[in-house]
Amino acid sequence: MIASAHASAGGAAASSGLPQFEPSVFGSQIFWTVVSFFLLMMLLKKYVLPAIINILDSRASRISDDLQKAEQARKEGERLLTNYQGQLVAARQVAAQTLEEARQESARQRDQALEELNKELAKKKNAALIEIEQAKQKAMEEVRGAAVELSMLVAEKLIVQSIGQDNARRMVDEAVKQLGESPRLH
Amino acid sequence: MDFALIAAAHAQTAQQAANAAPKMDPLHHFQVVNYINIAPLGFDISISNSVLWMWIVVAVVFGLFRYALRNPSLVPGRMQSVAEAGYLFVDNMINEIIGHEGKKFFPIVFTLFFFVLFCNWTGLIPGSFTVTSQLIVTGTLALAIFVFCIFLGAYHHGWKFLGFFVPHGLPPALLPLMVPIEIISFLARPVSLSVRLFANMTAGHTVLGVLFFFTATMAWFGAWLPFGFTVVFTGMEIFIGFIQAYIFTILTCVYINDSLHMH
Amino acid sequence: MESLPASFIGMGLAATGLGGAGIGLGYMFGKAIEAFARQPSAEGQLAKYVWIGAAFVEAIALYGLVLAFIIMGKG
Repeated sequence: MIASAHASAGGAAASSGLPQFEPSVFGSQIFWTVVSFFLLMMLLKKYVLPAIINILDSRASRISDDLQKAEQARKEGERLLTNYQGQLVAARQVAAQTLEEARQESARQRDQALEELNKELAKKKNAALIEIEQAKQKAMEEVRGAAVELSMLVAEKLIVQSIGQDNARRMVDEAVKQLGESPRLH
Repeated sequence: MDFALIAAAHAQTAQQAANAAPKMDPLHHFQVVNYINIAPLGFDISISNSVLWMWIVVAVVFGLFRYALRNPSLVPGRMQSVAEAGYLFVDNMINEIIGHEGKKFFPIVFTLFFFVLFCNWTGLIPGSFTVTSQLIVTGTLALAIFVFCIFLGAYHHGWKFLGFFVPHGLPPALLPLMVPIEIISFLARPVSLSVRLFANMTAGHTVLGVLFFFTATMAWFGAWLPFGFTVVFTGMEIFIGFIQAYIFTILTCVYINDSLHMH
Repeated sequence: MESLPASFIGMGLAATGLGGAGIGLGYMFGKAIEAFARQPSAEGQLAKYVWIGAAFVEAIALYGLVLAFIIMGKG
């Protein structure tokens, strides 16, 4: 009864509940399923899959190329870095050497200057000593001369005037006074 | 006698109800209608709505892939990314299950996945026909895979392929029990494979049909509820369509792997 | 026995098979959530198997549904 109701509703004669179990349409569907499936498979195999494989492969090769290039660039960079570091070390050595040389040179110059200065000073000192000696000699001679003159004056007065202590003292005082007034001592 | 009376009365009321109100018939859209009858040499190759939608699926799958790859570039656009993702998805599946030897089955598995997927998905367009809701279509595919796997096993292993039905490490006393079970489970493969897909599609579309019927016949203040459910359920069906295509394909891979490596 | 009521009864009985699938789905998703809670990092890998399993279980329920439809045709 349900089946007959279905038949009136569905149009075609349905012998079972689900239209899927109606065997009259099986033949064409089997045929066309197989045909459609193989048609799609051929189309995809011929036109789609090669394109996808192609693009994926080219991308893969591109990526590996890029990686290789990056690796090369990295190696190049490392090489440059080592190079640069070598240069840096060399430059540092040169700088250190230059500095050392400069230091030695300056030390040498300083020593030399010091030596010269010492020599100069010694020379000046000698000259000064000589001068002082000369001045001393001169002064000694002058003092000696003055003493001789004074003793001569005293002797002269002693001899000239009569003996007396007061007189003698007066005469010595006079003599000393004369000596003090004498311009030779100045 | 009582039953007959009840049945007659039931039929009568049902008839009256059918005349009075629109009749619920959620199975109507599974009806195959022949548009053009062709039967050369008595073999029926009529063009029906089912066949028409198979062609549409073939055209859509091929057209989408060609459109996605119309000018392939190293930096993919949106469509090209999707196409490549589809390729890699199937490729991954084959690699995981079959391994390196699976490469030569790639076109079959790839085609199978996208054919079933788009049969499931185009069926969700209102007014269209769901090809995979036809048991005979899924049955043809499953049986073809089954036969293909048997030939593959026979080709690779010869008569040793019969050893497939003898489980390893079993006491010989249990063999008379286990071998028939193995054979039956092997024979059940195409049945479960086809019925799973067909039943999922049929059930989903039947539910959608019932919900749409309620939407169309209920008063406006009640109709939004079943209508909302149809929206939710259509989304669910998109997901189920994908999952079922995936399962169909992955089981195909498992069967091919069994034929190649015998457990 | 008259075939129509018997077929209705048979359809109902066939559809009770859906209950088993319901139990299976609930059990599986419950266990899955438990597993995700224990090991949230494995969720991505496990979710795939959960959905495949759900589809398998659901398919078993639908065998019952198909059986109900077949009985409907025989009535």
